[in-house]
Amino acid sequence: MDKKIIFKSLNKSQVKWRVAGSLILFLVCLVVIFPAYANIGIDWVNNKTSIGIPTLPNSGFNLGLDLQGGAHLVYQAKVDDIPENERASSVEGVRDVIERRVRGGLGVAEPLVQTTKVGEEYRVIVELPGIKNVSDAIQMIGETPVLEFKEANNDKPRDLTDAEKAQIAEYNDNANYKIKNILDEMKAGASLEQMIEKYSEEKELVMGNIGFITEEVHPEIYAWANSANDGDVSQIVIKEMDGMSVVRKLSTRDGEKEVSAKHILICYRGASYCESQFSEEEALSKINNLKAEVTVENFSELAKQNSTEPGASESGGDLGFFKAGQMVPEFENAVWNVPVNTISEVVKTDFGYHLILKTGEQTRKEYEISRVFISTMQASDVLPPEDAWKQTGLSGKQLKRAEVAQNTQTGQIQVSLNFDDAGTTLFSDITSRNVDKQVAIFLDGEILSAPVVNEAIIDGSAVISGNFTWQEAKLLVQRLNSGALPVGIEIINQQTVDASLGMDSLTTSFKAGLIGLMLVALLMIIFYRLSGLISVVSLVIYSVVVLAIFKFIGVTLTLSGIAGFILSIGMAVDANVLVFERLKEELTEGKSLRSATEEAFVRAWPSIRDGNITTLISCVFLIWFGSGFVQGFAVALSLGVLVSMFTTIIITRNFMRFIFSFLDGKKFNWLFLGGVKKEKIS
Amino acid sequence: MNIPFIKYSKMWLFISGVAAVISVIFLIMWGLKPGIDFTGGSLMELRFAENRPVADEIKAVFVKSGLEVSTQNSGEKILIVRTSFLDENKHQEILTNLKEVTTGDITEISFETVGPTISQQLKQRAWMAIVLVSLGIIIYIAYAFRKVSRPVASWKYGLLAVIALIHDLLIVIGVFALLGHFYGIEVNTPFVVALLTVLGYSVNDTIVVYDRIRENLLRRREDDFGVLVNAGLNQTLWRSVNTSFTTLLTLFALYFFGGSTIHSFVLALLIGIASGAYSSIFIASPLLVVVEKWQRK
Repeated sequence: MDKKIIFKSLNKSQVKWRVAGSLILFLVCLVVIFPAYANIGIDWVNNKTSIGIPTLPNSGFNLGLDLQGGAHLVYQAKVDDIPENERASSVEGVRDVIERRVRGGLGVAEPLVQTTKVGEEYRVIVELPGIKNVSDAIQMIGETPVLEFKEANNDKPRDLTDAEKAQIAEYNDNANYKIKNILDEMKAGASLEQMIEKYSEEKELVMGNIGFITEEVHPEIYAWANSANDGDVSQIVIKEMDGMSVVRKLSTRDGEKEVSAKHILICYRGASYCESQFSEEEALSKINNLKAEVTVENFSELAKQNSTEPGASESGGDLGFFKAGQMVPEFENAVWNVPVNTISEVVKTDFGYHLILKTGEQTRKEYEISRVFISTMQASDVLPPEDAWKQTGLSGKQLKRAEVAQNTQTGQIQVSLNFDDAGTTLFSDITSRNVDKQVAIFLDGEILSAPVVNEAIIDGSAVISGNFTWQEAKLLVQRLNSGALPVGIEIINQQTVDASLGMDSLTTSFKAGLIGLMLVALLMIIFYRLSGLISVVSLVIYSVVVLAIFKFIGVTLTLSGIAGFILSIGMAVDANVLVFERLKEELTEGKSLRSATEEAFVRAWPSIRDGNITTLISCVFLIWFGSGFVQGFAVALSLGVLVSMFTTIIITRNFMRFIFSFLDGKKFNWLFLGGVKKEKIS
Repeated sequence: MNIPFIKYSKMWLFISGVAAVISVIFLIMWGLKPGIDFTGGSLMELRFAENRPVADEIKAVFVKSGLEVSTQNSGEKILIVRTSFLDENKHQEILTNLKEVTTGDITEISFETVGPTISQQLKQRAWMAIVLVSLGIIIYIAYAFRKVSRPVASWKYGLLAVIALIHDLLIVIGVFALLGHFYGIEVNTPFVVALLTVLGYSVNDTIVVYDRIRENLLRRREDDFGVLVNAGLNQTLWRSVNTSFTTLLTLFALYFFGGSTIHSFVLALLIGIASGAYSSIFIASPLLVVVEKWQRK
């Protein structure tokens, strides 16, 4: 037998303190679990003694989905058009937004919103215990607005696939075939009207009449009609971008009057779009000098040299033909009704000072056309519509605040946006990239407005004007503030647990737990007598401590969590049993109660330690592996195992030391030796 | 007390071997019956306030919408319906249709939809986890038992513990393959969790026995390894029985008094832990002796 007995020589008072400490721990934990009772006590004390002890927050346990009933929703985040390295953070943004929504809007006690990645897909799990109406919840989450900022997409459209090329070729072959038929039949004497009736794809027209056309809309047909007479039928096929036609010119009429002119512009500081540095007086004197110099012949040359209009050095100030209403009133008035080749007086507009030379006047014709039309197919018909816009990364995620605002000048109702730091940086980049270009604001996938950027915006605030009424703006601001999602979401999994099912599970599990505890207590006392009793006390303290920890940390209690907890009770018992068996052995070998006790704990410890560590290893992997059920179980089991190591080694041990100090001497050994045959006691 | 466990090592190993092989055969023949977590789909539990319609009537509602369906009665008023994946619209549509063929109220007690994408992940991770846990355990035991590398190397203790453990898992799986085939009992995530728990717990049990053997190795001078092991078994016998018994007791309490949703889970645990207790004594230890004998040859 090994003579080296390692035990702590503690004196009685040290042990007493430890025992007392354990009892206090017990009471504290009880209070944590049942604050209601503690509050009653506190209130009583407060009444009697007028000491103001604050009452404890009376929160219940955090009940999980299966115990309380509620909803479990899984959403998929649509991250396809977000660059890979930003996906995770976008989904985090979604998580935050949904959580805000759910907390605020639904009055749910403790929503659990978490992101998860499954393979390449990003998902968000939303657990709403206590929710009565799941479709309400789904709807509310679904209403979250998706706000995106996009810039013009200048990427090339992709090439056609072979299949698509074949598709287009086939279609156009078909079209050509039809047209050939038309021409043949007309050669054979059929009239255009008969062809229209038989072949034309414009079924909605009356006799193929497309009305009066201008040069802009149907340039090819117009060109032919210019040299044709009324009533003529084109002998050839006229090809346009979207199809082929054989046409008849029905009649002619006058179109709008148009004027052509050249001008010299001298703009001054403060004029619209002006980049020159002249002052108003300087500009005026300059234009007056030019006025003295200018003639019809040198007009272009002078324009090229002096005009501040961008591009004037090439164009010579030529504006081409324009219709009424296209130029500002002051400009138009100076040229509209004067004879050709008149040079105007100095004209002042918002743009600066002008000299205008009228170079021509015309009234263009419009032609009435009827036609038989066969459509053709082009690449743009087959390719998916080119997104005019592409993502910038700026979205609702970086939105700090939205407010309703009113433009002081125009009185227009607007929505003003404030971005957070990340958003401010992003926004300033975007605006500096896109000066003089459009940046589009999309809400729920629809374009809300696409203002032109005047200058880089570095203070992180933007304004959306979109013809809002006060009500509309207010509603939008509300939605934006309660959370604008950076990406769209789609629900892929829902689990509703009826509350009553949860209730039943709760009560039955609770009862099962109690029964389990009582059975074990009974067993311990039968087998180990006094030690058993001590261990039962220790087990009760253990349970209370574990539950208090659950509540304190806020572990959500689910059915599986309770199962893990109950299992850990069994394992706590195991640790005690290891010690007691050892104790029996030591006593049998004739040691005193005290030394036998110490020895028992020392000897039993390696087994307890190794066993519990392997269980903990399994738990670690379970926590990593699982979600929901699995994690709840593993967390409860781990906590239970850890606490049980504590209660066995510290609490049971010290209780035993304490009580044994009263029972020294071998005659008390019978209290511990349970099922050992009497002959063995010496 | 000196029960000669080791003397009959061959017999125990033979019985256990046969049991394991039978389990494997069951598994190959019938496989486990996968639950909704693995196959994906929708699981609906309905309570009918008045008469529960005949199964065929209910099925007709689903078939009309082009869905696969199977039904299960539960008690007097409850019906469990299993069908292919329903999106929310379809779900509501089916409920409306069902209400039309029923007199009285229908309450939907629970509705669980799992798209097949989720289940694939679960499967892979389950296997991963089991492998990792086994490795973790072997490594830890190799380290903890490093002082008793004679006559048997410490890592072998870990390996044998894992073998005993695999036997336990196989038994549980075999039983559930049987139950799945004859009673339609399904395995879901809880089953996997039960397996993992059995894993940790069974090794725990085996370790306690090995631990005693280790202590004996360190303290006693005994040439016959077999005698040493046998002594260790006897010394820890009472403790093993007690421990397993108390744990099983709590599980029985859970089984009979706990919620019905965890029944198969608890059953798996019961079988696994009972087997774990058995394997520590009748497999892990005899194997040690056998290995030691082989080494000497």
